[in-house]
Order: sequence, then C-alpha cells, then structure tokens
Amino acid sequence: MKPKLIIGIVAIIGFTSLLMYNFGESISTYTTFEAASDMSNAHVAGTWDDSQNYGFSMESKTFTFYMKDENGDSRRVVYPKPKPNNFEQADRLVVIGEMRGETFYANDMLMKCPSKYNDADPSQFVNASES
Amino acid sequence: MLSTFAIGVIGKLLITLSFLSGLGSLIFYFLSAKEEKEKQLRIGNWLFVAKGLFMIAASVLLVYLLFTNQFQFYYVFNYTSLDLHPMYIWSAFYGGQEGSFMLWILFSWLFGLSLIRWTRSPYKAPVLFFMAMTQVFLIFMLVGWQIGDLTIGASPFRTIAEEMPNAPFIQANPDFVPVDGTGLNDLLKSPWMMIHPPLLFVGFAMMTIPYCFAMAALWKRKYNEWVGPALPWTLSANVALLTAIFLGGYWAYITLSFGGFWAWDPVENASLVPWLIGTAGIHTMIIQRKSSVAQKSSILFAILAYVAIVYETFLTRSGILADSSVHSFVDLGLYNQLLAFMLVITVVGLGMFFWRYKELPSPESEAKILSREFMTFTGAILLLILGLVIILGTSSPIIGLLFNENPTPPEISFYNDWSMPIAIIMALLTVIGQYLFWKKYSWESLFKELMNPLLVASVFTVASIVLGDVRNFYYMIYLFAGWFAVIGNGFVMIRLAKRKPKLIGGAMTHVGFGVLLIGILASSAYNTPMLDQQTKDYNARVRAGEVTDEQGFKVSQEVNMLNLDLNEPKLINDKYIVTYEGYDLGEQNRPGQQTYRVLFEPVDGGKPFYLKPEVYPMLATSTEDNVQWSVDPDVRTGLMSDIYLYVAGSSYVSARNSQIERKAGTQAINPEDVPETQTIKFSKGETVTVGGFNMDFIDYAMEDTTQLPPNTNIGVRAQVRLTHIASGQQFLLEPLFALYNDEDGKTYVFSPPIQLANYDLTFRFTKVYPESGEIDLTIDGLDEEYQDEWVLIVAEQKPFISVVWTGTFLLMIGFSVSILRHWDRERKKK
Repeated sequence: MKPKLIIGIVAIIGFTSLLMYNFGESISTYTTFEAASDMSNAHVAGTWDDSQNYGFSMESKTFTFYMKDENGDSRRVVYPKPKPNNFEQADRLVVIGEMRGETFYANDMLMKCPSKYNDADPSQFVNASES
Repeated sequence: MLSTFAIGVIGKLLITLSFLSGLGSLIFYFLSAKEEKEKQLRIGNWLFVAKGLFMIAASVLLVYLLFTNQFQFYYVFNYTSLDLHPMYIWSAFYGGQEGSFMLWILFSWLFGLSLIRWTRSPYKAPVLFFMAMTQVFLIFMLVGWQIGDLTIGASPFRTIAEEMPNAPFIQANPDFVPVDGTGLNDLLKSPWMMIHPPLLFVGFAMMTIPYCFAMAALWKRKYNEWVGPALPWTLSANVALLTAIFLGGYWAYITLSFGGFWAWDPVENASLVPWLIGTAGIHTMIIQRKSSVAQKSSILFAILAYVAIVYETFLTRSGILADSSVHSFVDLGLYNQLLAFMLVITVVGLGMFFWRYKELPSPESEAKILSREFMTFTGAILLLILGLVIILGTSSPIIGLLFNENPTPPEISFYNDWSMPIAIIMALLTVIGQYLFWKKYSWESLFKELMNPLLVASVFTVASIVLGDVRNFYYMIYLFAGWFAVIGNGFVMIRLAKRKPKLIGGAMTHVGFGVLLIGILASSAYNTPMLDQQTKDYNARVRAGEVTDEQGFKVSQEVNMLNLDLNEPKLINDKYIVTYEGYDLGEQNRPGQQTYRVLFEPVDGGKPFYLKPEVYPMLATSTEDNVQWSVDPDVRTGLMSDIYLYVAGSSYVSARNSQIERKAGTQAINPEDVPETQTIKFSKGETVTVGGFNMDFIDYAMEDTTQLPPNTNIGVRAQVRLTHIASGQQFLLEPLFALYNDEDGKTYVFSPPIQLANYDLTFRFTKVYPESGEIDLTIDGLDEEYQDEWVLIVAEQKPFISVVWTGTFLLMIGFSVSILRHWDRERKKK
C-alpha cells in the first residue's frame, strides 16, 4: 500500500474515534431523580405533578414546581427562569441539572407538547380572549 | 354544494390520480432511458405534466376548503380558525405535514418542467426518471388509502370523523362539524414564516436536480458533461436554502424567547446539513468543470446532498426527534413510508455509485498541495466533515443507542467544539484557495503575496481584541482566521472586480464566510445580560458561592432578569436609565395582547428610545380556564449592537392568572387572598389614588326619583372617572345612591353595585355626607396592600448581530453572481 493511503486511513480512523468518543461523552441518558443524585448534568424525564403548589417567585426569581419521574418519585424542581409558555400543556418534561438534597436544580427544561389535540373535543375549544 | 363525503373523495381521487400518473411517467421514463426512445419520453412527459396538474387541482381544493372554513376536514380544523387573517391561510396551507409535502411536490414538479424543457440527451430521460421517482415517493405520503386496518399515507382530505372515529362526539354525531378551528400556531403568524417554508421547499426541490444528474451520469456512463447543467441548479438550491435558513434564524431571533438566531436544533440542522454538503458539491463541480478532475467526489456529493435532505426529512417528520427538538413534527403514521423513501434514495444512489466506482475517471497524477484542485477539494472535504459532525449530533436518538439505552441529545458544546476548529481551518484555507484559484504560485511567491493580507488582518485582529476586550486565546485565533478570510478574499475580490467583475462570485462568498464567522463570535460569545447593579452584585455573590437558599444549599444559578416597577427608573449596565412606563391593552392584532412600554435613556446623552415587547394569549392552545401566555420580544437593531428584550412576567399577567384560577376554581381559596373591601371618602373635584387607579370624583347629580322604585326619597348619582395608571384605561362610573322607606317608615340605603369585570372590582356608592358634600365609595376586590405594577424583563445586549446578517447577505449575493455566470455560459452552449 502507498504510504499516503495509510496516513489517510489512520487519519480517518483517528478522527472518527475522537469524534465518536466526544459524541459519547456529550450525550447522556435519561434518568430518574434517585439516580441523578450523584450526577452533575442529569437529564430527568417525567411529568408535572399538578397536585402540589407551583409558581414563579418574585423574590428568588425562580419557577418552582413538582415533577414525577418515571419511577413515580415526585420532587421539587427549581428552574431559574420564568414559567415557559405551554408548561401546563406539556405531557412530558425533561429537566437538566443536578440534585441537591431533595431538590432538583434545573438549568434547562425541555417540554414535549401533546400531539395536537388528538384526543380533544373540538367542540370545546374556546378563544381565550372570549373568556 | 357538494357533500363533505364527495369533497373528501374528490380530493383523495385527485391525489391518487396524481400518484398513478407519476408512477406511469416513472415507467415510461425508465423505458425511454433504457432504450433511448423518443416516443416513451414523450408519453412520460405527458404523464409528468398530468401528475402536476392533478396535484395543483388537489391543492386548489385544499386551499378552497381552508378559505371557506370547512372545519369538518381535520386539516382545516387543525390549522385555521375563523379569525385567521387571509394572509395566514396561505401559511396554514403548508403549516402541516400534508400541505408541506404538497408544496414540496409542486415546486419539484415546476423544476421538473424546466428540466423537460432544457435538459439534453443523453441525460434527459434518466434525469427525469429520478426526478419522477422522488416525486412518486412524496405523493405516496399523501394518498391516504384505507386497506383494511392499514392506512397508507396521510391524506389532507381526511375528515374529523376519519381522523378520530372513536371520539365520543363523533360516535354521537358522525356529521359533527366544529364551530371553529383550533387555529394556526400564533408563533407562525409572522410574515417571515410565510416565506420561510416555501423557500425551504424550493431549496429541497432544487437540490433534487444535482442528485438526478449524478444518477443519470452513472447510468449513462457520461461522467463529465452533467456538471455543466447541474452546477447552476446546485448553486440556486444553495441560495434558496441559505435564504430559508436566514429567514428561519431571523424569525427565531425576533419572535422566540430563546434569544438567538441559532440553537443547533435538529430542525435547523436539517436545513443546514444539505446546504453544507451541497456547497461541498459546488466546490468539486467547479474544479471538475475547470480541470476535469474530482468526477467521483462531484457525483458523491450530489448524491449525498439529497440523501441528507431525505434523511433529515425522515428525522424531523417521523417523530423520532419528538423528545429532542422543540419543533419537530408529530408522527402521522408515515414512519415506514419515510423510511422506505430514505432507504431507496440512499441505496439506489450509493449503490449505483459503488457499482460504477471502478469505471469512474481517476486523476492520472496526484494533485500538488499548492494547486487550486487540491485546495478546492480540501475545502469540499472540510464542508463534508462539518456536515457529518452535525448529522451525528442530530442523529443522537439513533446513534446514541450505541452508548446507552435512552440517549439524550448532545450538549450544545458538542456542536460548538467541533465546528469552531473546522471553521478556523476553513477560513485560513479559503484565502490560499482563492489565490491559487486564479494564479499558480510556489510556496515562496504565495507567501510574498499573502504578506499584505496577513499584515492587515493582524492589525484588524489586534484592534478587535483591544476594543472588544477579548481575553480568550482560542477566540483570538478564531478572530484572526475570520479577519484573514475577509481581508485575503477581499484582496482577490477587488483585483477581480477591476478586471472581470462577473467572476467575483466565489471571492465574495468567501469574504461573506469570514464576516459571518466574526459576527457569530461577537454576537454569541459577547452577549451580555442587561441588569441593574443590585442584581449584578447578587450574581457576583452567587459566583463567589456566598448565597444559600432556605435549605442551606449554595445557590448556583445567577439571575438574568430585571425587575422594573412602574415609573421607577433603574440604571442598567451603567449605560441606560430604564423606566417601565406602563402597558397598552390592544385588541387589534391579537385579542388580549399587552404592549409594554420600556423607555431607555442613554446615560451619555444619546437619544432616548422605547422598546415595546408584547405578551399575548396563545389562542390556538388556550382554553377558558387555562390561558397560555406567549411573548413577543422586541429588538432594537443597531450597527454595533442590538438590544433584545422580552417580558418574562408582569403584574397584569399574574393578576389575570389568579383571576382565571379563581373563576375556574382550580386553586383552593387561601383565606389571605380573599379580596378586601375598602371605603374611600372624597369630595367633588378631588382625585384619590388607590390600588393602581386614579379616581376623579367629577360631579354628582340628583336622580329623577320617578325612574326609581316607588318609596324612594332621594336618589343621587355620582360621576367617578377611573383611570388605571399602568395601562391608561379609563372608565366612567355612575354609581347610584338612593334612600327609600318601607311600609313601616324605616329608611334603607340602596346602592346597586357596578362591576368592573376585567379587574374583578365592584363599586358601590354607600354614603353621602350632606354637611361636607363628601361621598363614600366602597370598593370590593381591591388589595389593601397594593403592590405597584411591575414587569419582569429579560434584556440582552447582543453585539454585532448586524455583522452576522451582513455575512449571510454577502454569501447570498456571491452565490447569486455565480449562478448568473454559470447559467449564462450554459445558455450560450445551445
């Protein structure tokens, strides 16, 4: 084989392994509150626990709510931004951050909104302005 | 008037006919390409035309249904509403998956017609064959055939009853027609969103053409001539995609609250990757045309650019990305069809390529490093690598399975960490590449030539580092690369402009690339939140680890919001005095919208200006007991920096929310929250300020007692003008005070309440003091401890966003200049 070809192949393999290694490092797995306690950048997926109080606090400028993870474990989540649009409608939440004691401090939050009204009754939609 | 059933059948029939004629044209094009027969080609063309006409008829029907509000059709119900502006009904046409496929097919068909007109033998039949093939797949997504329990394709003409047969209201009444649709997503009601999707599909449709030419070249074993006609199409596809990406970014910047023009969202990546690979293809096609090299890579890139489009279409439309993207489509049950489309395009494309690989011309001698061929080729490879890195990141739900069972998307830093070094190398190479493109150099003579650009670029870099207070060494290198690309390519461009101005397209795009890099760094790395001193001090203490929360944990999150009380100025970033001056309740654009007035007065004596961010209820998703507020940021665009600002919360919104909650009874009433009753005493002409209102007691008049119930002794009607301070809304109240006797001669006071529904207030005129002329007004619902009106805003100063746009415009103009040049040449060939 020509030396140039070998260099090329080595370069490609080197680049690809580095890329894949870095990619593997930068993705993580969706987890639960319990498993998140020793992780620094945990992605916890779950649903909003609407049986508990939630709201934005003007004093601490944080939005606090309770979320149930996939094990049904409900924890307080503190999110340092205003309540996102569509929060109540989301049927799945992903909070990204860390556990401190019993509270999860989210730096980021992703919301998955329901597939558009598939099970809603079209006769019930009312313009919010008319209410 | 046709029945719903008949319209549905006609719509589906039109799409089926379009599909069948598409299939027919595919067969005849195949025969014609195989046996090179003119007759089959002509039949193929007729069928091709027929397919488009059926699709046009179907589109016209759908648009008609949209405009006539036929909500019994699911698509119409889902994307329009009675109050939708006609302009946005067009947006609704391609607002859903089905309609966007139709639009894509229509554009693709139009370009197909021009291929029929302009493509020459031997490519004509095979090019049209592949063009027809992609369209057949796309139409197949829309057929909506019911075969037993299986539905093939999602028809835009399905009715609500077909969409949700098990819904109780359908079971009760199969002919149910909703009164109103759910309406177009409010975020899409933007002029930018009217042009962004069509342009994207123009780009997608045009990018099919290089794929078809490359496949035709492989089929007919004519590996050189295809580049001539394919190049202007690829360039045009690129301009369309770039413009679409720009519009999408600009729309995101001015309407969404994530505060930027790019977020590495999978859907954004879906338009960027084909652009990158298409650009790689343009590079190799240019050197193939000039020097008859790189035939293999031109064909490969042309195939990959379209494969990237189909792959990203698969990712965004199959529902795979539902968890990782904020705006991916919902799965319509097209997963298998999308997968088949992707696999066929990829396997046929790459299969043909490798089948013919040995035959494909190879260069006789290897290119020298200092040659335009080598440099241009390297540029193409770098573009491809960047595209592959982004594809890898976007594919995390699939490729991430290698690492764990439930992969999350990569962190944003993954994209930044990889794209930055690649961009730096690209930027440096563009200059060397451009110099070598026009003239041969040795290392020595090249270095001599580059002395001046290097010097100038260094001066600009040092100046930017000093002026911008850049401390990060990596950023300094990046800045230098950006400036070097601007200056070096600028030199080439100026030289060319003097001699052959038609040829400056390439140099100009490379200048634009450099400008873009500088703009991206400045606007994203030096984006600063606008805060008052108190918040900044707080953040400094958070950084120092001195703040703990109520549970004793260290607070790690800084506050990047600004709280403003009505008419109380705050000094922000030592630059502006910012005052919240209230809001206007406007009904004209969006019902229930508030427009906030925030005054910025520059400390250095510049001209004061207002920013007017908005908050409005999302009509499409709000219900009576759950209003969802959406924000519309305001941006003040400047040459040096933009101020970007949106309202994160306000006293108005929180008062409205608690009002709605009270009404809906969703929240238990807290005894402390029970509205207070207050009585104010004032005399004629006096103004009292209470609970955010100014109340002017203007006058009172005796009421004609004959109009009042019998036994009334006296009736007085007061005139009180109520002004809500923050919004400036005025109300004139005329409460009545009357005394009447019952049979026993007892005197009673009659003071009927007057309601101010929007504020949940009730007014009663409860007492008259005859000796002083004062009156008592009793108000229910007013908090005793009234808090001032406030607004919470997120404001950011974003330097040099204008530079990002300038870079993008230069790229667009540069590409357009090249299109003209290559198109011109192709035309003259005839």
